[in-house]
Amino acid sequence: MAAATAPVSFCRAHISSSSTLSNPYSSSKLPFKFGKFTPCPSSSSKSAGFSVSCTLAREAPVKMEGKEDSDPALWQRPDYYGRFGKFGGKYVPETLMHALSELESAFDSLKDDPDFQNELAGILKDYVGRETPLYFAERLTEHYRRPNGEGPHIYLKREDLNHTGAHKINNAVGQVLLAKRLAKKRIIAETGAGQHGVATATVCARFGLQCIIYMGAQDMERQALNVFRMRLLGAEVRAVHSGTATLKDATSEAIRDWVTNVETTHYILGSVAGPHPYPMMVREFHKIIGRETRKQAIEKWGGKPDVLVACVGGGSNAIGLFDDFVKDKDVRLIGVEAAGLGLDSGKHAATLTKGEVGVLHGAMSYLLQDDDGQIIEPHSISAGLDYPGVGPEHSFLKEKGRAEYYSVTDEEALEAFKRLSRLEGIIPALETSHALAYLEKLSPTLPNGAKVVVNCSGRGDKDVQTAIKYLQV
Amino acid sequence: MPAITPGKFGKFGGKFVPETLIACLKELEAEFNWALQDPEFQDELEIAFGDYVGRETPLCFAERLTNHYKNKDGQGPEIFLKREDLNHCGAHKLNNAIAQTMIAKRMGMKSVVAATGAGQHRVATAAACAKLSLECTVFMGTSDMEKQSSNVLLMKLLGTEVKGVEGNFKDASSQAIREWVGNLQTTYYLTGTIVGPHPCPSMVREFQSVIGKETRRQAMEKWGGKPDVLLACVGSGSNALGIFHEFIGDEDVRLIGVEAAGFGLDSGKHAATLARGEVGVYHGAMSYLLQDEEGQIIGPHSIGVGLEYPGVSPELSFLKDTGRAEFYSATDEEAVEAYKRLSRIEGIIPSLEASHALAFLEKLCPTLPSGTKVIVNCSGRGDKDAATVLNYQQYSM
Repeated sequence: MAAATAPVSFCRAHISSSSTLSNPYSSSKLPFKFGKFTPCPSSSSKSAGFSVSCTLAREAPVKMEGKEDSDPALWQRPDYYGRFGKFGGKYVPETLMHALSELESAFDSLKDDPDFQNELAGILKDYVGRETPLYFAERLTEHYRRPNGEGPHIYLKREDLNHTGAHKINNAVGQVLLAKRLAKKRIIAETGAGQHGVATATVCARFGLQCIIYMGAQDMERQALNVFRMRLLGAEVRAVHSGTATLKDATSEAIRDWVTNVETTHYILGSVAGPHPYPMMVREFHKIIGRETRKQAIEKWGGKPDVLVACVGGGSNAIGLFDDFVKDKDVRLIGVEAAGLGLDSGKHAATLTKGEVGVLHGAMSYLLQDDDGQIIEPHSISAGLDYPGVGPEHSFLKEKGRAEYYSVTDEEALEAFKRLSRLEGIIPALETSHALAYLEKLSPTLPNGAKVVVNCSGRGDKDVQTAIKYLQV
Repeated sequence: MPAITPGKFGKFGGKFVPETLIACLKELEAEFNWALQDPEFQDELEIAFGDYVGRETPLCFAERLTNHYKNKDGQGPEIFLKREDLNHCGAHKLNNAIAQTMIAKRMGMKSVVAATGAGQHRVATAAACAKLSLECTVFMGTSDMEKQSSNVLLMKLLGTEVKGVEGNFKDASSQAIREWVGNLQTTYYLTGTIVGPHPCPSMVREFQSVIGKETRRQAMEKWGGKPDVLLACVGSGSNALGIFHEFIGDEDVRLIGVEAAGFGLDSGKHAATLARGEVGVYHGAMSYLLQDEEGQIIGPHSIGVGLEYPGVSPELSFLKDTGRAEFYSATDEEAVEAYKRLSRIEGIIPSLEASHALAFLEKLCPTLPSGTKVIVNCSGRGDKDAATVLNYQQYSM
């Protein structure tokens, strides 16, 4: 197999030269003065300062106007302030601003650093096992063939074959190398399903760094195997009991730790959420997925994919697959969220379908909140999609109409889980199963021979116990 | 290397089977030979290996493990891991399972039966059958079904029928063969071990030899030479032969196999066939095996279920007798230590089987000159063994 090409290239955010762009902000890098928000009285912000979740005015304070608007190749993703349109940004306490700037400068300098690029490429190849195959799913394609013999061609991008069994490690490796550059000895991370925690613990073991993982106590119970794996890998797993003891609470706790220990500690955020530069950074480390896909599509059928489909929790695997194709308007981008027990049940995690714009964990984005601006507890059978927010870039792509977002229920995901196992001998993660489930609705609408690439973002060994409880196998 | 009669490795190997199976084995051998020379089959296999299994697997420099074995003068061998753990299904087993399932399909078979000690072979077989839409039935000893319940669930999810047989692996495998003999026209017996009557050992070895072929090329790319030492765990011997076979003719490459010493070689509870076995016939082939004075098979034990096999490949028996390969063993305890060690210092959780090979590094490394290139076949990943290790720790505390 061909060696991975240099996996990371960086977007160069620059200040718009348009003088008509109004700038109501102060000269500080923070677009909004923190005090302008009305902090919501809530039981969820028990500790000082950080976990703010507020509803903002509906109007975007800064609009991107002009001809750049319709050409995706010209969109600033993100701009100088870390915004994707009105989304994104850096809604954090002052104590974190320096760390974020330091992170951004370090990250920026690495694009011209051949040593870093080579080291990263080497690890992705020899340690992680890239490049991952683009696999033609023959029996799945046959399953979707219509009675007249026509139908789309389904391909799977096999991120399940990565070391640790999911796409998460692409980002973990990149960030741990970055942390070493910053001479940080202590790494923290949050985790929902445990995959990001395992990936972080893995890279910390590989590079000999201290590792602390924050995990919701409830998640620890349903993903006990992942907890054991993290401990085996030498990480300390700290249970978070506050709030509803799930991913969002673990994230808040991790951020609190970072605020306290920012000098010695690097926070490896697991998805494309959080304050700038995280959404951009995590995307950059995952964009190798899409870049490889482009090359492999040309090798296999001499063209581009017609449709890309990926599940969306925080949104990292989706952005990783989509990013290289955002500028190709003829490639459809489809994200699939978790509809849990149904969109009208109130028990789901379909942020982009049912959420509203607000600020969570340092970024402006869609999120699931009630009328008081309190976070609504999400639900999904898959822990990795059980997040009430979503990466700001997805919110941006949705608003631009560049990407489409749908959702599938727990039941549909389980069916898809079973289907891929039976038809292709690949057991997908329950998260990934959401993307696969959407093929049921999508395939009948596609012209004959349409090339569909589904991001098989993780393997499902970790979900077998859960699935067996629900399925009659 | 002296010329070998097909199916025989010196006095080892052969086809010790009832007459009913001879015709069938001949057909299999013909089919196998044809497939080897058929460019269409080779292309299809290459695509399956590449896109489905995820080959080629990396040859990964284990930096922290290498440092761990440096002496106080900073000298020591360089340790590389051949990452068979990264294959789809998490072990080297799928290399063979997918290739044989493709052969079964070519032969017009509708269904596959299997039974081996290792759960990984069964999962790999189940996956390959799902992909190629063949019915799959796996026989398992009821005591094994309990010990490997998560593997049973995986197989069922993949659409395989799992049939319990009173007893353990020996009984399951006998039942599978009975089922096969009763349905020879439509059923393919998929052997995962590199034991069995000819052509099974050669077939399995041929499909696993992709490991060694890649290793040769990768060693050349990385340091412009060959490995000095190849290290692999030995149950029946499929992963070991997979990496060794390519280098058998290179006398300057040491081949080291590590068997399971269980509770210790003198405890009677181990699976160190080459260390403590005697020559006999088992499952259709002459080879070393663990037998008592009456020629009855001794039940093996190892914490690594995949190594819990009382026989061993006839080809490995031959390599031992000719002195071409060396064989040692590691206890359960040493294997668990190695499991934990690799997890903690390289972030790779190895299978308990592969951990036996890794455990031997403790004894091997101090004897090697500085800069020796050692490649360990990391034959599988160890997520499946997490519960076992947890129980072992709790039990031993």
